[in-house]
Amino acid sequence: MDPQTLQTTGLTLKWLLTIAWLLPLLGFVVELIGGGWVWGRYSKNAAYLSVMCIVTGFVCSFIALMTWGNATEWSALKDHGATHGTSHAEPSRHASGVDAHGAPKPAAEAAHGHDDHAKPVAKDAAHPAHDDHAKPAAAVHVAADHAHGTPHHAAPKVVFTGIFYRLAQFGSLDISLSYYIDSLTLVMFTMVTFIASCIHIFAIGYMSEELTDNYADHQVHTSHGHLHRPGRFHRFFSFLSLFCFSMLGLVLAGNIFQVFIFWELVGVCSYFLIGFYTERKSASNAANKAFIMNRVGDFGFLIGLMIVWTWFGNFQFGDLPAHGQTQPGLFSMVRGNDGQMKLHVPESGQAEVVFKNQDNHIQTKPNGEQRTIPYWLLVAAGLGVFGGCIGKSAQFPLQTWLPDAMEGPTPVSALVHSATMVAAGVYLVGRFYPMFTPEVLLVIAYIGAITLFLAATIAVVATDIKKVLAYSTISQLGYMMLGLGLGGWAAGLFHLITHAFFKSLMFLASGSVIYGCHHVQEMPQMGGLRRKMPLTAYTMLVGVIAIAGLAIPYVTLPGGEPIAFSGYHSKDAIVATALTYMNLNGHHLLFFLPLAGAGITAFYMFRLWFYTFAGEPRDKEVYERAHESPWVMVGPLVVLSFFAAFCAFGGEKGLLFKLLLDSEPASVPGGYVAQTEYLSQGLLNLKLPSHEAIHAKHDRAGTLALIMAFVGAGCAYLVYGVRWVNAAEIKQQFSGIHRFLVNKWGFDEFYDMLFVKPTHVVAGWCSAIDRVIFDGFLHASAKAAVKVSDWDRQFDETIVDGAVNTVGNWTFAIGRSLSVVQTGRMRNYVMFIAVGLLGIFALLIMFFPN
Amino acid sequence: MNDTFWLLTWIIFLPTAGAAGVALIKKESVETMRAFALAITFATFLLSIYLTWGVFDPTDPGIQPRAPELVSKAAGGFSSQEIAKQYGQRGVSTTWIPGWNIEYRLGYDGISVPLVLLTGLISFLGMVASWSIQKEVKGYLILYLLLETGMMGVFLALDFFLFYVFWEVMLLPMYFLIGIWGGPRREYAAIKFFLYTLFGSILMLIALLMLYFGSTGSGDVLPTFNILKLSAIGQGLIPNLAYSPAVQLTAFILLFIGFAIKVPVWPFHTWLPDAHVEAPTPISMILAGVLLKMGGYGILRIAFPICPAGAQAACLVLVALGVISIIYGAFAALAQTDFKRMVAYSSVSHMGYVLLGIAVWKLTDTGAADGSRFWLQGINGAMFQMIGHGISSAGMFFMVGVIYDRVHHRDLNKFGGLIGLMPLYGGIAIGLFFAGLGLPGLCGFIGEVFVVLSSWNYSPVLAIVAASGVILTAGYILWAVQRVYLGPEYKGPHPEAITPLTEREAFVGLTLLVFAVILGVFPNLLFSKMEKSTEQFVSTMDAGYQASIKPATTTAAITNTK
Repeated sequence: MDPQTLQTTGLTLKWLLTIAWLLPLLGFVVELIGGGWVWGRYSKNAAYLSVMCIVTGFVCSFIALMTWGNATEWSALKDHGATHGTSHAEPSRHASGVDAHGAPKPAAEAAHGHDDHAKPVAKDAAHPAHDDHAKPAAAVHVAADHAHGTPHHAAPKVVFTGIFYRLAQFGSLDISLSYYIDSLTLVMFTMVTFIASCIHIFAIGYMSEELTDNYADHQVHTSHGHLHRPGRFHRFFSFLSLFCFSMLGLVLAGNIFQVFIFWELVGVCSYFLIGFYTERKSASNAANKAFIMNRVGDFGFLIGLMIVWTWFGNFQFGDLPAHGQTQPGLFSMVRGNDGQMKLHVPESGQAEVVFKNQDNHIQTKPNGEQRTIPYWLLVAAGLGVFGGCIGKSAQFPLQTWLPDAMEGPTPVSALVHSATMVAAGVYLVGRFYPMFTPEVLLVIAYIGAITLFLAATIAVVATDIKKVLAYSTISQLGYMMLGLGLGGWAAGLFHLITHAFFKSLMFLASGSVIYGCHHVQEMPQMGGLRRKMPLTAYTMLVGVIAIAGLAIPYVTLPGGEPIAFSGYHSKDAIVATALTYMNLNGHHLLFFLPLAGAGITAFYMFRLWFYTFAGEPRDKEVYERAHESPWVMVGPLVVLSFFAAFCAFGGEKGLLFKLLLDSEPASVPGGYVAQTEYLSQGLLNLKLPSHEAIHAKHDRAGTLALIMAFVGAGCAYLVYGVRWVNAAEIKQQFSGIHRFLVNKWGFDEFYDMLFVKPTHVVAGWCSAIDRVIFDGFLHASAKAAVKVSDWDRQFDETIVDGAVNTVGNWTFAIGRSLSVVQTGRMRNYVMFIAVGLLGIFALLIMFFPN
Repeated sequence: MNDTFWLLTWIIFLPTAGAAGVALIKKESVETMRAFALAITFATFLLSIYLTWGVFDPTDPGIQPRAPELVSKAAGGFSSQEIAKQYGQRGVSTTWIPGWNIEYRLGYDGISVPLVLLTGLISFLGMVASWSIQKEVKGYLILYLLLETGMMGVFLALDFFLFYVFWEVMLLPMYFLIGIWGGPRREYAAIKFFLYTLFGSILMLIALLMLYFGSTGSGDVLPTFNILKLSAIGQGLIPNLAYSPAVQLTAFILLFIGFAIKVPVWPFHTWLPDAHVEAPTPISMILAGVLLKMGGYGILRIAFPICPAGAQAACLVLVALGVISIIYGAFAALAQTDFKRMVAYSSVSHMGYVLLGIAVWKLTDTGAADGSRFWLQGINGAMFQMIGHGISSAGMFFMVGVIYDRVHHRDLNKFGGLIGLMPLYGGIAIGLFFAGLGLPGLCGFIGEVFVVLSSWNYSPVLAIVAASGVILTAGYILWAVQRVYLGPEYKGPHPEAITPLTEREAFVGLTLLVFAVILGVFPNLLFSKMEKSTEQFVSTMDAGYQASIKPATTTAAITNTK
């Protein structure tokens, strides 16, 4: 592939994905306006438009994936051997990636941020041999170049990065909207648009009740009985479109700040969609809860952003041309091109991570010092960003919003709250992976393990069909987090994709059940429905088998992979990683929790299926009225069930896994061992498993997980299938545990007591301080001023005026008395004058004798 | 007396002329008066647009217009120190009171132009919103227009005395606008507003005189009120003339309190809820949209540049006050049951970001700049927050006003279901409230997040506390939205009065929402206007601080900005 091809490929990918990204936004605007003022309540135009947008988006994404594959000659799919990452590069491809860099970019254009260049970055995986090549950091080229002919080279990872437009620039700080396209981006785009297309089509049927002027909402009681309102069909689809835009923007984002922007946007779409039935108090409460709990996570995210921003001065994931040279992205800064962090302990103090360039050279400040970040701050930044992921992916301890989010219409639950948005947290962990230290990964693993177990236990006792699926989603997200945290990068993301298919399938199937049962969601009112809605039942069964991770024992494909549905492969990959990790590090819970979780998962999922579809109907009335859904709804189920079954075909030798593996950060394949000299600096003595190590444990882990899954499924069959054991009796025997679980481990009450109420109390205080103290002080001063002026008045009136009056009176009195002497007789006056003169003279003589 | 002189003069005094015009119209022709006043505010808005895009040169960091001898040299040809010394050649002026060396000196740069534009916009939209005023329309319009003169004057004046005069000119109409056209407790609120601001004005006056009399050396030159020259003195750019650090600190504290009352900064904020709540809707829009910004602008234009040493000494306190305002305002907003009061407290919280962004000026122990680019970001963020808040808070107050005009109450617990009854209104309102919440893609986000990001460099602890505001903000806004717009039915009095948005109301709301979206999606439209001036600000401040703590070496400028 020559540089020209690379560049055109980059441009093609950029535009294809941009179209796929922006079409739903256009759809949103048109649907909002058209639905509100043009089309009327009975029109399905909004739905058609949004389906058109997302299907076109899918087509674009798929073409993009194909373009990328053709341009890289599908090297990702070629067998890298059992030990990924050590096979040889194709020289032609490598060299071309280099030459593409050699093509200098016009600096001015790059600096203005509207480059039409896609900048391919060839990352040289797992080969640290470049340090010798002294090359000035200012050069345009990426230095991975010199190793053309060197053997033992992994295939370079091709990443296309570039800038859409600039948001702001402060000195050397630059924030832009940009893109970062690698195979993970492409797979996510294809998955999201495909599943969204299915769900959009399903929703045409599911939301058709909204096509009316008089929708009766039986869950809302007003003073005039049930609520009647105009339908809101178009509004639903416009929000769905807005969501797709936000979600695709999140995946396409080329920097962590942009991720944050779309992170919040998917959050607000989720808020609108959960609260779609705005009249329902429970819905608006759930929407608020979802948004606020996500904000708690985002608070952590923001802290992570602050650290990254302050220390790195950069948000870009990938390397970008800027000011005539290549500006290394965050990943290069932390890990160079070989995936390794370079630690450094200054004479006084704690370990630091040294910043590198994309060519693995050390970055220096103008004064010659190395640019570094304290290790613990990098850990804090990682934990902060992961905090956001905890919120978004409903991980412990912020998991409680997701079950409540089931207040939204079921297609929303399928799209937003299982397949895409909640997986964004996992996606971000995967995307931001090079920035995470092993300590952060350990936290991620523990959070994942706790979450998967906790949610699975609650799912066992939930009776609302959607709630079971919600807890199941939380639990599966926990698996993904666990996988990523253990160093199984591809395993975690593999599970993300497979889960998206089978969970959206199951949500849609549950939607079909709810639709068919006229909005009954409680499983105790169901039973035997497979006779009424066979397609829904059996597509659902596909999903159940997939998530439970069942496989046919002892039968394998030619490559050695077992015959199983998608969930088996991905969960197996995670459990294998867990087993390897445990063998390396201890931390036994990180293996046994997911193992137990595998059993519980199989149990509660089969419980759901038996409860709903098998046996005899529990509520005759519901059963009688139940019916299969129309094709517009069942069709997507069938399509999704196909992918839920076979999207991971071939397991770790299959197409999907290899595609993902192509984007794996360079640090992952070889594993990691903490360097002993830094252990005194607070680094944990952790080891991350290499691909070979995991591969060695794979069969054992797979067998264990499979046994657990069969045990779980078997128990469910005994209790709910043939009803050999009475569930009610078990419930009674363990009523304490049951209550505890039904109560969701008490998190809601606990948070209410610990956070919500105190917040309101403090809020009350602040308000009271204003009223009582500040205004009190103000009023007191005002009163004092009035009082003082009052005294002033008193003083004026009594003392000053009194004095004046007194003086006046005296004067008057004196005058009066003097008037006595004013006789009017001349001789008297002459006498006064004479006496006066004599007196004066006498005085003068007395004082001035001379 | 060139064209720019007259342009600026027109921007300031066209509303005054309009007020005179309104006075001439017969009292009975109310609609004529309204239309005339609207035309005046619109014309002023057009002038401010012309100033921004037609006259203002964003590549010149200094005050504009430049004297002809500077024009010939390319705008980028001066160092920031040189620009700071061009106090006589920048801006336009004419003598006003020669005996005191008071000038009528006007000018603009990247810091004031966005605010002038905002004033033009909000005044215009406020006038559109003023159709709801029925009482004494003539007096209202006259005072409203005079108020606009005061606001424009504050943002364009470069003579401190002139600035002070405009500051007071703005105060009086506002007093009457609240006191006569306000709600039930209008007199209390008006007096509270007036006294608070007056208290601040007096402190400012003291500082004004202090700085004025200190601005002359050997006595052969008259002291000056020229803000640019005072800044040059404060930054040690004029040989043998400097304000000592003690003088700077005293003056800074006096000025800061004066401006902080206006912002308002905790604990000087309690006038705000009362004034906002009692003021009629358009006046609330002006108060929140423009008046609060005068405080932030004063800090940027006067308090910091003239007293760099004082500012630097007080920075930690300022940052802390900013953070307290953010959190305290958010908590207080959460506790309100009056819709308008809740929005008012949200202003306290949001304006806290402005102060925080302005004050994250970090120096190393030796006094060298430490991460100036983050301070630069903070100032830009603060400026953006001022503009963004001007739009979102004006919008929020307008949205409250719309429903108040219909049902005549503001009890948050007695609303509900409005989005079903008034879909367009509900949609616009939720959009504007989310702009206040700081949702990306809307104007509130950019200012808030850039300020917060810049603050870690100054103090990680305070930055974390400030960042926690995002949770509380979401809390009070969403809770209010839920109680007012969502829910099954309207629970308050006068349900029959709830009618759809009129076209006039929709125009105001949609305009603000569109601006909120544009600024949120393309923030560089605004940043590109002010980035040169803020860079100039930061580099002269860093150098000015250096110079003012070392009075002997007056022009020792250590620029370590990037």
